[in-house]
Amino acid sequence: MSASVTFSSVTVTLFEGLVTTAQLFFLTLVFALPIGLLLSFGAMNRWQPFRMLRGTKFASGRFGCALSELRPISLVVKTVVWIIRGTPLMLQIIAIFFGPRLLWGFDLIDRFPSALLTFVINYACYFSEIFRGGIQSVPVGQQEAGLVLGMTKGQIFFKVTLLQVIKRVIPPMGNEFINLVKDTALARTISVYEVLWMGESFIKSAGLMWPLFYTAVFYLAFNGILVLLFGWLEKKLDYFRA
Amino acid sequence: MKTKKLLSLLLAGAMSASLLAGCGNTNETAETGDDTADGGETTQTSDFQYIQDKGTLIVGITNFAPMDYPDENGEWIGFDADMAKAFAQEMGVDVEFIEINWDNKIMELESGAIDAVWNGMTLTDEVTNSMSCSDPYCVNAQVVVVPSDVAGQYQDADSLSELSFAVESGSAGEDAAEALGLNFTAVQSQSTALMEVASGASDACVIDLLMAGAMIGEGTSYPDLTYTVNLNEASGAESEYYGVGFRKDSNMAESFNNFYAAMYEAGKVQEIAQTYGVQESLVAPQASADTAETADTADAADAADAAA
Repeated sequence: MSASVTFSSVTVTLFEGLVTTAQLFFLTLVFALPIGLLLSFGAMNRWQPFRMLRGTKFASGRFGCALSELRPISLVVKTVVWIIRGTPLMLQIIAIFFGPRLLWGFDLIDRFPSALLTFVINYACYFSEIFRGGIQSVPVGQQEAGLVLGMTKGQIFFKVTLLQVIKRVIPPMGNEFINLVKDTALARTISVYEVLWMGESFIKSAGLMWPLFYTAVFYLAFNGILVLLFGWLEKKLDYFRA
Repeated sequence: MKTKKLLSLLLAGAMSASLLAGCGNTNETAETGDDTADGGETTQTSDFQYIQDKGTLIVGITNFAPMDYPDENGEWIGFDADMAKAFAQEMGVDVEFIEINWDNKIMELESGAIDAVWNGMTLTDEVTNSMSCSDPYCVNAQVVVVPSDVAGQYQDADSLSELSFAVESGSAGEDAAEALGLNFTAVQSQSTALMEVASGASDACVIDLLMAGAMIGEGTSYPDLTYTVNLNEASGAESEYYGVGFRKDSNMAESFNNFYAAMYEAGKVQEIAQTYGVQESLVAPQASADTAETADTADAADAADAAA
């Protein structure tokens, strides 16, 4: 077997793994970016259903006061973000793939979709915090100015705030995108055959270590493209300085 | 103003009610979930039927020559792979091999992601407690692997104390090294352990005899390594046996035992074993295996010779 392992055959095998890695990467972004934006709105949601209690006798107590200031949507989103950011991604991958099967015998989600789901949830939470930072960094004065000019909230968000947000979130997003490329390697825990799995497989099949280290080239190339892309984007958005 | 307040209160009340109702629903779904789990257990008692209905026997393996490994076309072959194919054919189902993360084998099995762990698995307490295992079909031992040029110095258990060892984490080799009080580092797999020795990171490693037979020595990736001490003989420990793992409380193990006995009777097992060079390690079916283990192996070897 080992005799048939050549540099080109290893390269081909690693490219097969790279296809899976790339699928995981792009599909995660497609779903996690919009979900992350929604979550950031959730975290900033100021809805206080018990607000009318304020000023009443009930709200003078400690519990009543807390209740009157409760922002349930924001609280739920922040709790979810805390749980997802506060636990290891590897544990989440294992829990989402094995958990439903072990608890309810529910086995509709296969390995790849299961890994994808985990990455989407995990990255949506990280993205939501980045979006929130971006949105809140735009001065409130601009929104007030928009209101004075008679713009609707939607108009203000899409025509005034959003472009500045995009410009500001690009550097931290670059970090997360690069992290995501490397984090996809964790999917091998549940036997999703991505680049690192393919590299490791040669240790078992042929006793070869170098394919494992060779995977670094694939990650570096992938991330190199991302770095160039983000550099270009930043330049492109350089025309207005907010 | 007052009506507005009243309305808000009413709405808030309605919302908390719906929240409570929501809670009720979750409880209910949880209960139904339990029911399905119970249902799952009933199907587990006839695991055989469940797999037949499903139409595919999913076998969890790792790349482990000569038991399971891919040929040039990427098809899984090996002693275990060929036996699994024959067993699936007997059951009238397709067979699918999935390379799994060996550390997660019990979760993979219990969750139904795979139906069998069939990969030269040593029947340790960990395995027999958490799976429904077949009778042993191969006998194995743990051996010490060292570079050939120093092999002469390490021919008995006493000489091993000064060496640094690499062993597979959670393997029978780790147990053996621990029992002998050896100085060892746990690594991810047996092949990593071999790499450790080949690279000089560790002086020696403890791996399966079967694997040592297939992976080291002339004509392999590790021509400069050899095995010396048989730790099972050295420590007087019992021999290790390979078995197939099925879900806990599954009736598959029994089905496999019957299948194996019939195959053995017909000489088919010996034929497959010969193909992959493991005929020396075969274990005769339990029914006729009341004699000592060595006799078993001898019997098996004889039978294999007869078959050949």
